[in-house]
Amino acid sequence: MKVSINWLKEYISLDGVSANELANALTTAGLEIEGVEPVAKGTNLVIGEVLSCVPHPDSDHLNVCMVEYGEGPTQIVCGAPNCTSGIKVIVAKVGAELPAITIKAAKVRGQESNGMLCSLRELGVNEKYLTEAQINGIEILPNDAPVGNTEVLKYLGYDDVVLDASQTPNRADCMAMWSVAKEVGAVLRREAKLPSYEGASKIGNPTTLKIISKSEKCPHFLGKIVGKVIVKESPKWMQDYLHAAGIRAINNVVDISNYVMLETGQPLHFYDLAKMPHKEITVIDDVDMKLTALDGIEYEVQKGDLLITTGGKATGIAGIMGGDDSKIDETTTGIIIEAAHFNHVSIRNTAKRLGLMTEAASRYIKGLEPLAQNKAVDRAVQLLIEYADASELEETVEAGCVNYSPIQVTETLEHCNELLGTTFKMDEVTEVLKALDFNPVVNGTSFTCTIPSYRTDIFIREDIDEEIIRLIGFDSLNKTLPKMEATAGKLTHRQALRRETKQVFTGLGMREVITYTLVKEQYMNDAVLPFGQHIQLASPMSEDRKYIRNSMMPSMLECLAYNQARKADNVNLFEISNVYEKDKVQERVGILLSDSLQENRLQKVDIKSDFFTLKGIVMSWLAKLGFASERIVIKENTLDTIHFHPYRSAEVYLQNDLIGIIGEVHPTYAKAMDVAPCVYAELNFDLLVNAKGTKVRFVPLDRYPSVSRDIALVVTVDTTAQSILDIIKKVGKRLIQSTEVFDVYQGEHVEKGCKSIALNIVYQATDHTLTDDEVVPLHQEILSELESKLNAKLRG
Amino acid sequence: MEKVQLVQQEALQKIEACTTMDELQQAKVTYLGKKGPVQELMTLMKDLSPEEKPAFGQEVNVCKQAIAKAIEDKQQILEVSAMASKLEKEKIDITLPGYEPVLGTLHPLSVISQEIEDLFVGMGYDVSEGPEVELDLYNFERANIPADHPARDMQDTFFINAEELLRTHTTAIQTRELEKAQGKMPIKVICPGKVYRRDDDDATHSHQFTQVEGLVVGEGITLADLKGTLKFMADRMFGEGREIRFRPSYFQFTEPSVEVDVTCHICGGKGCSVCKGTGWIEILGAGMVHPNVLEMAGFDSKKCSGFAFGAGIERIAMLKYGIDDIRNFYINDVRFLKTFNRFD
Repeated sequence: MKVSINWLKEYISLDGVSANELANALTTAGLEIEGVEPVAKGTNLVIGEVLSCVPHPDSDHLNVCMVEYGEGPTQIVCGAPNCTSGIKVIVAKVGAELPAITIKAAKVRGQESNGMLCSLRELGVNEKYLTEAQINGIEILPNDAPVGNTEVLKYLGYDDVVLDASQTPNRADCMAMWSVAKEVGAVLRREAKLPSYEGASKIGNPTTLKIISKSEKCPHFLGKIVGKVIVKESPKWMQDYLHAAGIRAINNVVDISNYVMLETGQPLHFYDLAKMPHKEITVIDDVDMKLTALDGIEYEVQKGDLLITTGGKATGIAGIMGGDDSKIDETTTGIIIEAAHFNHVSIRNTAKRLGLMTEAASRYIKGLEPLAQNKAVDRAVQLLIEYADASELEETVEAGCVNYSPIQVTETLEHCNELLGTTFKMDEVTEVLKALDFNPVVNGTSFTCTIPSYRTDIFIREDIDEEIIRLIGFDSLNKTLPKMEATAGKLTHRQALRRETKQVFTGLGMREVITYTLVKEQYMNDAVLPFGQHIQLASPMSEDRKYIRNSMMPSMLECLAYNQARKADNVNLFEISNVYEKDKVQERVGILLSDSLQENRLQKVDIKSDFFTLKGIVMSWLAKLGFASERIVIKENTLDTIHFHPYRSAEVYLQNDLIGIIGEVHPTYAKAMDVAPCVYAELNFDLLVNAKGTKVRFVPLDRYPSVSRDIALVVTVDTTAQSILDIIKKVGKRLIQSTEVFDVYQGEHVEKGCKSIALNIVYQATDHTLTDDEVVPLHQEILSELESKLNAKLRG
Repeated sequence: MEKVQLVQQEALQKIEACTTMDELQQAKVTYLGKKGPVQELMTLMKDLSPEEKPAFGQEVNVCKQAIAKAIEDKQQILEVSAMASKLEKEKIDITLPGYEPVLGTLHPLSVISQEIEDLFVGMGYDVSEGPEVELDLYNFERANIPADHPARDMQDTFFINAEELLRTHTTAIQTRELEKAQGKMPIKVICPGKVYRRDDDDATHSHQFTQVEGLVVGEGITLADLKGTLKFMADRMFGEGREIRFRPSYFQFTEPSVEVDVTCHICGGKGCSVCKGTGWIEILGAGMVHPNVLEMAGFDSKKCSGFAFGAGIERIAMLKYGIDDIRNFYINDVRFLKTFNRFD
C-alpha cells in the first residue's frame, strides 16, 4: 500500500516527524516501509509569467522568452511547443536541482538562457498520471497562479511524500488509509481522528433494485441506486491522493469509488444505471463463459468463479473487475453502488488464474473489515452528493447480513511477562493498549481488550502480547537462554555415519555436490536399482521437473557433462541424498569419478579414476564404517548392464544384502549423457545405517615371526583372483595372516589364454613360532589344491 | 729414540696429506701394517738392554696410538667431507612444485548446515530430519496453516496427491517432533533439510532450497530466550560481536512472530551495498510457538511455551561468501565448488 503523508495528515498531526522518521518508526513496529518517495522534487522553483515568447533566430523549434517572477524580466530559452506569451509557468531558476538535472546559466545557440520552464515530468511526477500534452510540453498553470510564489510544489499539491508500505499478510487493516492512520497513531502515541459518515446512506426513496446472492461465497452485498450524478473531473485533492496511492484519476464517479476503497479498504463497484435496465444484480458461481472486463480484455470465467450478473447476463468478475458493458463513462447519468463481501479464497483463485491482481482483488484476498461495506457506502454517498451532484437516491438494498460482534481478549500481566521474558508493569501495558484503541479494562492483574473491527488479526492473548512488545519495542527484551535441565545434544547414528562418509570422500579428493530432487521422465527410466512405483507431481512446473527422483545417477552424470563441457578434467564427485518411490524412501550415496582421482605429471602420480580405484575407495570407506572386506561380497553385475559396462562392473553385497552397483558407466549411456568414460557407484546408505558395523577391538600385537612366500600362478584368463584367494584361505585356515595379489600378467612367456597371477602369502600363528615342518607341507598343500581345483601351475 | 720421533712425524704428515679414503687406507697399511715402520721399530727392541726395553716399548706404543688416532680423526674428517660432497650432488630444485593432492570439498550448503548443527548440538539440541515427501497434515495443518491459506494452493506447493506433497518448509520436521514427544518436555531440536516451492528458478529463487529450523519447548520459555539463543547463532555464522534485532512479523506457526536482523558482517553496521545502507541484514524468521500448534500436538499451552526459528541456508551462504546467484548451489560447477576449499 502506498501511503501519502499529506493524506495521513488529514487524520493525525505529524508535526515534528519527518517522513523518514515516520518510516523508521512504522518499520520498527512491524509495518515495513520499503520506500520513501517524494511525489515531485525540485529546488529553486518559482511561479512565473511569460511576458514574451519569440522564435529563436537560429532554431526552428526553440523560443526565446522573457519571464517575470518577481526579480525583473529574465531571458529563458524554451523548447516546449506549448510555450506562448501570457501563460503562467513553473520556472526553475539558475541553481535549481531537479530530479534529472541541475540548472545552469547557459547560451543556447547564441541566446542567453537563465533558467528553465518546467514540465511536471521534469519535476519527477509519474508520467502515468500526466496527459500527453503535459508530458510533451511545459506545465501551464491557472491564470490566477501567484507570480513570484516559491512554494511551487505546495501550490501544485505535489509537496507530498509517499511511503511504500509492505504489510504482513495478517494486517489487512493496513490496506485502508483510515486504519493506517490508526496504526500511525498507535506507533507515535498520537491521536488519529477519523471522520464518521455513519448514516449518510440512510437517505433514499423506495427502490425497485433487487440484489440476490446465489453463492455462499458472497455472504453480504449492499446495493444502492443513485439516480442522478454528473460525471466530471474530480477535485484536484482527490486526484492527487489517488495518484499518490498509485491509482489513475479518471472522473469524479470512478475516482470516488477508488478513493473510498483506499480510505476504508472496502472495494466498491459502480455500475452505469442506464446499462442495467433490469435493476437487478445476482451473484452466481456456477458457469463457464467468456466475459469482457472494463479493461477491454476478454477473460475466461469458469465454475467456482464469482460472477455478477444482471438480467441473466454476466456483467462483472466479482471483486476483481467490472464488465465492459456496464462501466461508467462520460455519458453516465446514474449509477448502482456495489459494496460486497466476497470470499477471499475464491477471489484469490480467480484473480491468480486470470492474472488480474487488481487493487480490489488484493483487498478481498487479504480479508475485509466486517463493517467495511456499510462504512464505504456511507462515505460514497456523502462524496457523490458533494462532488458528483448526486440526487434521486434510492434506499440501500442488502442481501445477506453482517454477523459481527466485537472480539474480546483477556490476558494477564503475569502470562504476558512470562511469554515475553519481560517485567512490564500494568500501566506500561495499558498505555500501549489504549494507543491501539483496544479499550483495556483492568481487573486485578488481568486485563480485557475489546478489539476494534478493523483489527481482524487479533484473537488470542498471544496476539495481545505481540502488540505490547512491538509497540514498547523489541529492544526492551534481554538476551537470555532457556532455563531448563541440561540435555546432551547429539547426532543420530545416521547423521554421524553421513559425516564420516563425507570426511572420507573429501579427504580422498572428491567434491560433494547437491543436485535437484525433481527430474524428467527419462531420468526415472535411467535409474540405477529402481525400487518401486515412480512418484509424479500433480502440479509440476515443467516436464524437466516432473518426477521425484529414484536414483542419482542421471543427475550426477548431467553434472559431469556440464563440467566437462566447460573443459574441467579430473571431476570426481559424490552426493548423499534421499531418493523416492511410491511410499518408499532410500538414502543413497553416489560416487562419480572421471579421468584421474589424483594426478601430478611432474611427480608421476596418477591415480586413475577406473574401476579398481572406485572399488578400492568403496572398500576402504565400508571398512571405515565398520564393514571390513571379509563381510563384503563382490559379484558379477547382472542387475544393470544397460547403464554399466557389463564386464567392468560389480554388485556389492554386505553379506547377503545388496548395497549397490559399482563400475564403468556403459559407453553407450555415457555417450547419451554426453560424458567421457567414467566410473560410478550408487549405494544404499540405509542398509549401512541399519547394519551393525564391527566395533573397534584391540587384538594383541603379533608376538611370533611370520613367514612370507611369493608365488606366481599360471591360470586361465577367466579364473578370478577371488577363487584363488578363497582356496588359499580355505586350506590355510588360521595360519594365513594375509594374502596380497601384487601382479597380474598376460603376454609373452605366458601361454595364450592364460595369465600369471603373483601373490604374496604370509603365514603366521598367534601362539607359537612356525617351523618349516608346518609351513612347507601347508604351502605345498595349498599349491596342490590350487592345481587340482583351478589347474593353477606354478610359473617356472 | 729419535727414530721413533721421526717415524711418528713422517706418518702424521702423510696421514694429514691424505685427501681420499683410499689414500688414508694406504697410509694405514703403510704405517701400521706388519711390514710398516712401526713394526720395524719393534724389531729394534731385541738390541736393547732389559732396562731400556720398557721405556722404548712404551714410546713405540705411544707412537702407534698417535698414528692410529690420527688415522681415525682423518677418517672422520674425510667421511664428513665425502658425505657433504655426496649430498651436494643430490641437490634438487626445491622450487619445483610438489605433489599437491586434491583435497575434496564439502558442498557450501553442507558447510553451513554442519556449522549450525554443531553450534546447537553443543547447546544440547538434537538434530532431526524427516521426510521430504510429506503429508499435508505435518506440513500445513499441524503448522497452523489453515486449509484456505495461500501456501496451500497448487500454485505454490508441489502436490503429489490430495494428502502428499514435497515439504515446503522444515517446519514439517518440527510438527513431527512435537507429535513424537507426546507432551514430554523439554524438546530441543534443530531441523535441517531440503524444501521445495513452486517458484521459477532465477538468481534469487530456487524451486529447491535448504532450511534449518530450531525448536525449543519447555516450561517458561520466553521471547527473551529466543533473542539470547539467536545471538549465539549470529555470532557463529557471521563472526563474534554481532548485534541482533527483532522486528515484528507474521508466521502462522508462531505468535508473536519476528524477523531477525543481524548487524551487517561486511560494514559492521555502518551501511553498505550488501545491507542496502541499513547496517542490518535479515537472516531469520522466528517467534513463540503458536498455542494452536502446541495444543494440536498434545501439549497444554497453559503449562508450557516454546520458541521456533528458521533460516534459509542458501541465504546465509550467499551473504557469508558473497554469492550472487542461488542457482550456483545446484549447478555444481567445479570452479564454484573449489571455492570452499579452506577452513573458514
